[in-house]
Amino acid sequence: MTFSKSMLEIDASLEASRISDFIREMTFKNFKRKGAVIGLSGGIDSAVIAELCVHALGNKRVHGLILPEKESNPISAEYAKKQAKKMGVETSTIDITENLESLKVYQRRNEVIKRIFPEYNDSCVFHITLPQNLLETDRFNYHSITIEDKKGERQKKRLSGGDWLEISACQNIKQRSRMIQLHYYAEKNNYLVAGTTNKTEVVQGFYVKFGDGATDIEPIAHLYKTQVYQLARHLGVINEIIERPPSPDTYSLPVTDKEFYFCLDYEFLDLLLYAYENNMPLDTISKTLALKEQQVERVFRDFKGKERATWHLRQMPPSLAPLAISN
Amino acid sequence: MKIIKTIRKFLIENFLFEEDENLKNDTSFLENGILDSTGVLELIAFLEETYGIEVEDEEVIPENLNSIANVAQYILKKQGSLK
Repeated sequence: MTFSKSMLEIDASLEASRISDFIREMTFKNFKRKGAVIGLSGGIDSAVIAELCVHALGNKRVHGLILPEKESNPISAEYAKKQAKKMGVETSTIDITENLESLKVYQRRNEVIKRIFPEYNDSCVFHITLPQNLLETDRFNYHSITIEDKKGERQKKRLSGGDWLEISACQNIKQRSRMIQLHYYAEKNNYLVAGTTNKTEVVQGFYVKFGDGATDIEPIAHLYKTQVYQLARHLGVINEIIERPPSPDTYSLPVTDKEFYFCLDYEFLDLLLYAYENNMPLDTISKTLALKEQQVERVFRDFKGKERATWHLRQMPPSLAPLAISN
Repeated sequence: MKIIKTIRKFLIENFLFEEDENLKNDTSFLENGILDSTGVLELIAFLEETYGIEVEDEEVIPENLNSIANVAQYILKKQGSLK
């Protein structure tokens, strides 16, 4: 099998039509639903899914839910609305801050942050990152928290395991609350919930179990992120979204997917992920991507670790009952 | 050595549970998926608390933390530098 930098180039027109057929067949034939609802985040994946759903079902059968909370980047909702307008798709905006407050998400999480930085208050913002030197040195992944006060001054500390787990458990409620709203809308209108997770995220476990992973269909789960960008350009997703650095947009201090989870740019990450999944020879990968074999091995170790830590996300809940799957 | 016993016990109780028969002193935590990103942070907190040391970010590298033997050596080095 050959390996080249153009390995992940797709025929975007053909792929868009293949996915549209899939969405149409799933919606009307398998699920027997009238349309699809999508959580429009203002990011590339949901914009592409919305475009594909419009191609498949027509814009009158597609609804965009915009689900901000007080820590979302305000530009996200703006871009989501602009993208929806361009497609002629109706949207509803539901601010989920109140839901999150009732679940004590901010309160519980801020208590943890205050244990680490006693000076943290409501005027501060924060994010979580991993070390970014994946290619340079053998190292472990560990989470650090950065807070920024209203003067823009930042402090950074490595988290303890317990603090990371508690912050993460609180943050994940954001995606799970959004999914509740999406399923509510879908059920009352006899729609399905179209998911927006791409292959890079699926194989590396970059989504929330029963959160953004709890959907009816996943039309782009076979495409790497860079392939989603190719589709976005073909489908005419608005430039603001295409040019925006991908971010989880769940932290009050902006953070990119690279800083938060992947530690590599998508262009590199996707090619390496492809090579990893297809057992390409190390020397071929290293020559093609101008990396040392040792660097490729480091990245593969990181892939393997994330794959192993998140294996359960990709499974049905294990049970003793044999799974009877039928159409 | 007591340090090795203590670290082994911590790893078994927190990460390996009943699957500890293959855990040698030189078993790589990274290669064998024994520690994920949260596990690393838990191990560091345990070492800091148990041995009264402070693990710097630049010390969170396989050379210091990738096996029971590496961790034991690292602890001894840190304790030596504390004296």
